[in-house]
Amino acid sequence: MVLGTYKEAVSARSTDSKILEVSQDGGIVSALLCYALDEGIIEGAVVAGAPDDDWRPIPTVVTSSDEVIAAAGTKYSMSPTLSALKEATRQCGIEKLGVVATPCQIQGLRKAQAYPFTRFVADKVKLIIGIYCMENFPMASLDTFATAKLGFDSLTDATKMDIGKGKFWLTKDGEDNGLAIKETHGYEQAGCNICNDYVAEWADVSTGSVGSPDGWSTVLTRTDDGANVFKAAVSAGLIETKPVSEEKFGLPMLEKLAKQKKDKNNAERERRAKMGVKVPTIY
Amino acid sequence: MLVSNFYNEVTYLKDRVVISPTTRQEGHAELVMEVDDEGIVTKGMYFSITPVRGLEKMVLNKAPETAPVLCQRICGVCPIPHTLASAEAMDMALGIEIPKAAKLLRKAVAAAHGINSAAIHHFLVAPDVVPEDKFVDAVNSVSEVRKNVQYVVEMIAGEGIHPSDIRVGGMARNITPFTKERLIERMTALKPKLEEHVEFIKNCVLEAGLPNDLGVVNQPLMAMDATYGTNDFDMDKFSEVLPEAWYDDPEIGKRGCSVIPLWEGNNVETGPRARMEKFSGFKDKGVVAQHVARADEMLKNYDACMEALDAIDPAAPANVSYDKRGTGELGFGVIEGPRGTDVHMAKVVEGKTQFYSAIVPTTWNIPTMGPATEGFHHELGPHVIRAYDPCLSCATHVMVVDDEDKSILKNEMVRI
Repeated sequence: MVLGTYKEAVSARSTDSKILEVSQDGGIVSALLCYALDEGIIEGAVVAGAPDDDWRPIPTVVTSSDEVIAAAGTKYSMSPTLSALKEATRQCGIEKLGVVATPCQIQGLRKAQAYPFTRFVADKVKLIIGIYCMENFPMASLDTFATAKLGFDSLTDATKMDIGKGKFWLTKDGEDNGLAIKETHGYEQAGCNICNDYVAEWADVSTGSVGSPDGWSTVLTRTDDGANVFKAAVSAGLIETKPVSEEKFGLPMLEKLAKQKKDKNNAERERRAKMGVKVPTIY
Repeated sequence: MLVSNFYNEVTYLKDRVVISPTTRQEGHAELVMEVDDEGIVTKGMYFSITPVRGLEKMVLNKAPETAPVLCQRICGVCPIPHTLASAEAMDMALGIEIPKAAKLLRKAVAAAHGINSAAIHHFLVAPDVVPEDKFVDAVNSVSEVRKNVQYVVEMIAGEGIHPSDIRVGGMARNITPFTKERLIERMTALKPKLEEHVEFIKNCVLEAGLPNDLGVVNQPLMAMDATYGTNDFDMDKFSEVLPEAWYDDPEIGKRGCSVIPLWEGNNVETGPRARMEKFSGFKDKGVVAQHVARADEMLKNYDACMEALDAIDPAAPANVSYDKRGTGELGFGVIEGPRGTDVHMAKVVEGKTQFYSAIVPTTWNIPTMGPATEGFHHELGPHVIRAYDPCLSCATHVMVVDDEDKSILKNEMVRI
């Protein structure tokens, strides 16, 4: 169960060219949110909004397809998404809320749902879309990559940010500057090193690029709610699917990375525990 | 005869009836009634037995924003008026003019809370006035009303109890057009239900067989505004005396825990009836009139809430940035709460709160409530008290703890 509980694994991509133009991979998150909003399954969603020049992601409440598309694409620093749940369920008046979140954020959200300390907040969350996540960088780390490692004056000089082909890429003045991934090690959040969840095991639907060809995403449907929304979006023609590959770079790759994260981080957990440092319980 | 009713003890001491604590109210107080041979009250004394509010001291030498956060904890029944009064006092103490949208949001919240709090009171007095076969209906009606108005409070102010989004300088944020529409829709749907509720309660009260002139007093009225409130408070007309100087009985003077606030040297009546008389031409006095006025005021608050909601511009800013150093002048937050006029005062010097004081509605009423029981049988005394909807939970329950082993040495003020 290295991928957690799931009903179905498929490769999928949005059929909407407007979404594919701006999305990171197959545009599944955007397609699902647009569909759920248009059909009234949710009234709004909390997402990591498109950052300004400073690249800092701002949690944003979206209530229309246009706003979803404006916020599309991966952010490379933490978006404190859960901090916007209150605003979404209060002044924004949303009764059925969608949330796009990383595995760690979903763990917190599921706990809030199980133990409703915050009245009328977590119980209004009706759809959780999880994104695969190996680790995440604090803003200070991104600043360091730009200035100390790539020699920029400032992170704000970067016009594009991407990870691929074994490198972390920053584009400045139209030129791509690559930083080997191993150069970024040690700059991730300390908490990422003891996290056991790569594929958002507690989401309603999880998605990410690994396991599918370029331009496609691998989708894991996990709960009835998640599976129903996904199936309905496929039936409505907003998402096309194909069987996920069983070859080396298909599902086995996703399983391999998920297991790698667990193995590596369990070792780190043990190391910390031996030093007497408290580590959180894994569920 | 020794009557034991709910949790209170009724004790006959020669010619005295003592009810301690009085029940179906918030917080703890004692009602002492001197009675004649027929059991008619010749002298009534009502006083708070919950010592130390403390919150006004806790906010001293802290940032001004601390006050609304801590002072809303004065009470869990009317936290909205306390938060509003605290924020308004700080706004004035810092010389802030809040945006129009923020004022409207605050007004909508205050009015919705007024309806909620009156409904809670109907629940508390239901055993007195609602016939047994209609009791379940009454409770359901209270719940239905509360559910809807609390929704308004929650959406605008963040939480139904202890609102997080009423801030110094305005509100944390404005509502969206979607929310405005939803709140108006929900309140519109509530109207027939609310009218039915008000009618139901008024009928119950009128048919409960309470004497019409029970609890009639002729004290001056304390009411600053028909609904929300105003920050215009004339300190020259205000004075306070200690309980020792107010109550004839030295023992009660010693045990009474709240100071006696006076307006132009008199004790006053505050609350829905006072407001309705002063601003809406309501004439009747006494227990029945207080219940009727409280029910009628729910509809006034309904209109006030709808008016504010209608006028809110969701695109307008809901807060302003401000200089937190303070004007050094005394700022007032005067809010017309469900139980009466709630006054908070604050002074800020060099960014720190230097003075803070709160005169909460029931404190105004305390010296008036005792005498209001006079002239009727003592068994009607609790009805008179409950008609004021007293709320004395605005106090800290103190206990004495051993420094060494933390064991509790004295806790009679917790387990009253």
